Amino acid sequence: MVSSLLTRDEPVYLVKHFYEQHSKYLGLVLLAGSAGLSRKINKAEVHRPGLSLTGYLKGFVPARILIFGKQEIEFLRELEPEVRMERLSSILTPSTPAVIVARGFPPPKELISACDKANVPLFRATSTATNLLSRITFLLLEEFCPSVTLHGTLVEVFGVGVLIQGESSVGKSEAALGLIERGHRLISDDVVRVKRKEGPYLVGSGPELTRHLMEIRGIGIINVAHLYGAVCVRPDKGIDIVVKLEEWDDQHFYDRVGLDDKFIDILGVSVPFHLLPVKPGRDVVLLLETIGLNHRLKDMGYNSAKEFNTKLLETIAKRQKKRVGIENRA
Amino acid sequence: MKIVRKVKVKNSLGLHTRPAASIVKLLQPRKSAVQFTHKHETINARSIMSILMLAARKNTVIEISVEGDDAELTMQHLVDAFESEFGEK
Repeated sequence: MVSSLLTRDEPVYLVKHFYEQHSKYLGLVLLAGSAGLSRKINKAEVHRPGLSLTGYLKGFVPARILIFGKQEIEFLRELEPEVRMERLSSILTPSTPAVIVARGFPPPKELISACDKANVPLFRATSTATNLLSRITFLLLEEFCPSVTLHGTLVEVFGVGVLIQGESSVGKSEAALGLIERGHRLISDDVVRVKRKEGPYLVGSGPELTRHLMEIRGIGIINVAHLYGAVCVRPDKGIDIVVKLEEWDDQHFYDRVGLDDKFIDILGVSVPFHLLPVKPGRDVVLLLETIGLNHRLKDMGYNSAKEFNTKLLETIAKRQKKRVGIENRA
Repeated sequence: MKIVRKVKVKNSLGLHTRPAASIVKLLQPRKSAVQFTHKHETINARSIMSILMLAARKNTVIEISVEGDDAELTMQHLVDAFESEFGEK
């Protein structure tokens, strides 16, 4: 089944962006190689070049951010100046995004001149190399996680993240408004940015500009956070179920028992999927609440449809036995 | 049938609320699926919020993709609307 996929965002991530976003958090200070700030970061990987500095470059991955810790700096100090320069030049490749010196160590002057020569930005950071390694890996993984922009409305119903999809004017926004009125929460209307996090699981959020705004036909644009208060909105939420609203089609056979779970694929993660037909007289808000509650029940290990089916099969088996018993006696 | 064309935002305020509303209005009777692409972001042009999210300023280029039976006519209407600066000239 294909979700109404709109875009797979492929923005270019430059060292400049990384520096702007995280310089405060990581305590970064630019020391040299400012001409290389528009280098691309292509990999969510950081590397301590310890072994590479000894001259062993087999399997060296050039596209990683390099972090110089105490050991690297000490090791460089022990080398002859020419060797130092040569080793440094060999690891500063055209695809090396940046070099960061940990613990506020003053970098050797060969490192400064090599970075300037190769146009690789050189930063100094306050924390230790190990700390930088984990923090930068986390930040880059966040930045590089696969994402997609979907058409739909994301709401939280009884703590369950429900992505409501469907054609324009089928009543997604109205359904969301009804849910908010009953105390559930809006994450985003119409446009949902979905990220696949490690696990894998999906997290949806709204674009900054139109966050918590809704367009309701006949009323116009409203701000839900202002109308109903901060309790009715959330910045992001994991996506647990996808519900597709569609106009009631007499020819289509809708699920009447719920024994078979259906799934939809978003960024390689399969999410439980419900097709919900809409027609006058069907209270969509109540139905969405029921789907949310039923999902919680299933999460707790109780599946209403399956439980009933087991009970039914047991009853039939018992009757069968009785029947066989009667026939045997006769 | 699918048609893709690039248009320039000409009105001085960019794609703000009124132009977005007029795009949605002119698409209402049309049957084709219409998408706008701007800065790596592709959106459904029938949704006001999506168009507003693009926050496209003057002189930026938007790629319009129209797919459906009345694609040609729909594209013509859209291009005319962008050309006439949504009546804001």
